[in-house]
Amino acid sequence: MISADGNVFDTAVIGAGVMGCSTAFHLAQGGMKVAIIDRGLLCREASGVNAGTLTLHMTRASLVPYAIEAWKMWMSAEQWLGAGVLATHAPGLTLAFTEQECTMLEERAAARREFGAKIDILTAAQAFKKEPGLNSKLLKAACCDIDGFATAYLTGRAFRYGLCRQSVEIFEKSPVVAIDRRNGLFEIVTQNAGKLLARRVVLAGGVWIEPMLAWFGVHIPIKTLVNQLIVTERIRPVMRTVMSIANGLLSLKQFGNGTVLIGGGWQGIGNRENNETEAIPENLIGNLRLARFVIPDLSEARIARIWLGLEAETADAMPIIGDVPGVDRAYVVGSAHSGYTSGPFMGKIIAQHILGLQPSMPLFNPARLL
Amino acid sequence: MITTDHKADVLVLGAGPAGINAAVTAANLGLSVVLIDQNPAAGGQVYRPMPFQFTHTQELSDAEAIGAVQREKLKKSAVFTYFEHTVWNVTRDLRVDAVGPDGPRHWVCRALIVATGTTERVVPFPGWELPGVIGLAAATILLKSQKMLPGKTTLVAGCGPLLTAVAASIVEGGGHVAAVVDAASKQAWARGMPELISRPDLLWQGIKWIAKIKRAGTPILSASAIERIEPSKKNRLSVTVRPVDSQRRLITSARSQTIVVDAVVVGNGLVPSTDITRALRAEHEYVNALGGWIAKNDQLVRSSVDGLYLAGDACGISGAAAALWHGELAGLTVGYDLGKLDVQAYRALVEPVRKEFYKARKFGRAMGRLMAMPPQQVESVSAEAIVCRCEDVTRREIEAAIDEGAREVNQLKAWTRCGMGPCQGRTCGDIVASILALKTGSREAAGYFTGRGPLRPVSLEQITGTYEYSDIPIPKAAPL
Amino acid sequence: MRIDKNLKRGQQIVFTFNGENYLAYEGESVACALFCAGMPHLRNSPHLGSPRGMFCLMGSCQECVVTIQNRKVLACQTPVVNGLQVNSGTERDDND
Repeated sequence: MISADGNVFDTAVIGAGVMGCSTAFHLAQGGMKVAIIDRGLLCREASGVNAGTLTLHMTRASLVPYAIEAWKMWMSAEQWLGAGVLATHAPGLTLAFTEQECTMLEERAAARREFGAKIDILTAAQAFKKEPGLNSKLLKAACCDIDGFATAYLTGRAFRYGLCRQSVEIFEKSPVVAIDRRNGLFEIVTQNAGKLLARRVVLAGGVWIEPMLAWFGVHIPIKTLVNQLIVTERIRPVMRTVMSIANGLLSLKQFGNGTVLIGGGWQGIGNRENNETEAIPENLIGNLRLARFVIPDLSEARIARIWLGLEAETADAMPIIGDVPGVDRAYVVGSAHSGYTSGPFMGKIIAQHILGLQPSMPLFNPARLL
Repeated sequence: MITTDHKADVLVLGAGPAGINAAVTAANLGLSVVLIDQNPAAGGQVYRPMPFQFTHTQELSDAEAIGAVQREKLKKSAVFTYFEHTVWNVTRDLRVDAVGPDGPRHWVCRALIVATGTTERVVPFPGWELPGVIGLAAATILLKSQKMLPGKTTLVAGCGPLLTAVAASIVEGGGHVAAVVDAASKQAWARGMPELISRPDLLWQGIKWIAKIKRAGTPILSASAIERIEPSKKNRLSVTVRPVDSQRRLITSARSQTIVVDAVVVGNGLVPSTDITRALRAEHEYVNALGGWIAKNDQLVRSSVDGLYLAGDACGISGAAAALWHGELAGLTVGYDLGKLDVQAYRALVEPVRKEFYKARKFGRAMGRLMAMPPQQVESVSAEAIVCRCEDVTRREIEAAIDEGAREVNQLKAWTRCGMGPCQGRTCGDIVASILALKTGSREAAGYFTGRGPLRPVSLEQITGTYEYSDIPIPKAAPL
Repeated sequence: MRIDKNLKRGQQIVFTFNGENYLAYEGESVACALFCAGMPHLRNSPHLGSPRGMFCLMGSCQECVVTIQNRKVLACQTPVVNGLQVNSGTERDDND
């Protein structure tokens, strides 16, 4: 399905997660003729199955400014994208139950404050006022008002709407087999959509960025994390904030429909080669024990669904956003660790860069990881 | 011993006819066997016993007699049974996690036999979700093991052999059946008759049921189905019935009739339980006559996943009589695969069992065909009918998602929440896929809901048991 | 309606549902006992708040969920016990 008259796209984005979709959206908004290609469907990998936490607590400290901008974008998605993901503003608490966790709490809060996050340290009593259902064994908490959550599985539908409005051409179920150069253009060979020609290419493949970069002979290792998630049935309101623990291993929130989502990065089994994931029961039990400990009322909740998603992580746990080293007009955006939170903004700044504008915030040079 | 080591050679899930025989056969070969079932006693659906607190003073029916023999056989065997245990997770390296009255429990095994039977299929119509409307298989449980009638006056609708069985049971119990509404035409029954001859005893029983129903004055409305149910005065239900065509679609131009009853029993066949086989990513194939998606099997028993075996209706509708033989087949095959039988001994034992299985299966398969759902039947599911009961998702919302481009059931699920509720798509999955297939052209293209844990909803309390904060193994902390 | 021909049930007991007394017999499930007593309505669906009750009787459909001691259980899998206090208890969506 080459644009039948041999038209050339200004940019082809490969990988239709939130990063790729946001990049494509902003490029099109900037006047480019854009194609977005995915071997599956829009936002059905990490972007569609993550916990939807829009928090600064668990974002890397130096990424806080990016996450703040992205938070605003999620909260206003209906305006700029045309469709939303039920993004809900709620205060975020990070909790400490041991002395060691208290120390971690203070450190993490301080680090994020340095980058612009307004995080207050609360005594246990103050925390109980904000979140009455907390386990009485709480020692200390940190609170940030800029926090909240989105419903991740709505992301694909929302971006589909937005991308169509910007006349981005969407090629789903079209795995890319190879990228060749032809007359100074990129010729993208797909399995089900024929060959596409583009002046520029953006690699936005999440955990698959490593094999994508290999198309260009560039080798940057990307680690694949296999995150487990659990959601309960609808239950009566048992929490009002988005919660995490200072050690980073719990994320807890209750949606407007009453279901409670439990995550935190507990690992399952899986790999990016065959996408077959499986939960590790001991890790499910551990995650649930943490959740039940933090909010004892969760005891009575029944779990309705368990699933897993693949998350990308670079060697220094920072994003790769910028030019593909040594390849003209090829770009990469991804691996932001908690990438859903900052995704829309990361797509915006790489798009600015590609459009020849000054990005609102500095990019993250991929060359550093070679 | 078993419980402290959490290890067994063989784990059997489901204590129906297939599961019991699989477990006992394997145990008789010298393997250590654990049998798990969520019910308080063995028997599955067809041989479900009455509660132990009830005492019968009449002659046992054939099913009750077989059930009693099966339970006795199980008790006398070396099988370790765990009743009232709900399995919530199975892994590919064959670890099974369950919750029971004494808390969470898990086992690992070398061979896992899935004998989990079927669930009921009901093609939705407005009002199927009202209290007072129950499934056909549900009605047999109510009648046989709770000894209750659905209501003073009941309407029985759907298709397949359970229809007349349930209606006759109600009449026998002193209840009134306002009508039997059968989606199959008289011709369809006649066409299926030759195959039913393989079990003249069951055929005769079916004829007696029909005679009983007719003697009670109950009209049998062939080639008809329920169009809608509305609440009526005094908690009664007003049922609108209309003729259907050969594809079991409502003929909107034909005359309808309205019948007011206290309870409605409806069922459109049985669907093999594939939650475990889907969760373990076994290969499946779609066979409409066998009830829908089933795990592909080699020599009737081995799935495509190492160590995962199948027995009974979970492997395709074959009937209870066949399930007994199928269980034995599974037990023998596992025994052979785990080295308790050499190839000659295995062949000698398996051949006669396989023969009996094929014989018994004929009738079950014929019944299965009568229960199969024609692909176009779901055309009649009206826009306002609720398809996903858990999430209140209507046909209209599903069509909107299809119009927007959803072409695969998991995409539909992400866009409508259909299948995301506590039943995990067990009730609606077959119907949703069938609706989508009207657009995609085939069930294979429409796909099936990705299998995942938990296999049944279980509470945090049940799964986590008793523990301290320091018990929780904390993996490496997140980067700063 | 109970079929009592040639049958002796378990001990008669009393349990409550949403505060109302119901007679039943040991061996019966909460769902069937209520159904038989003319109370098929066990809960409301979370999204639209429509009345629901037992349906599959196999522990599959999850329609018969009730609350006993703050815990959600399936009424069709729960035996009646003398003095059992059962409540319907569906949690509703906030945003309809």
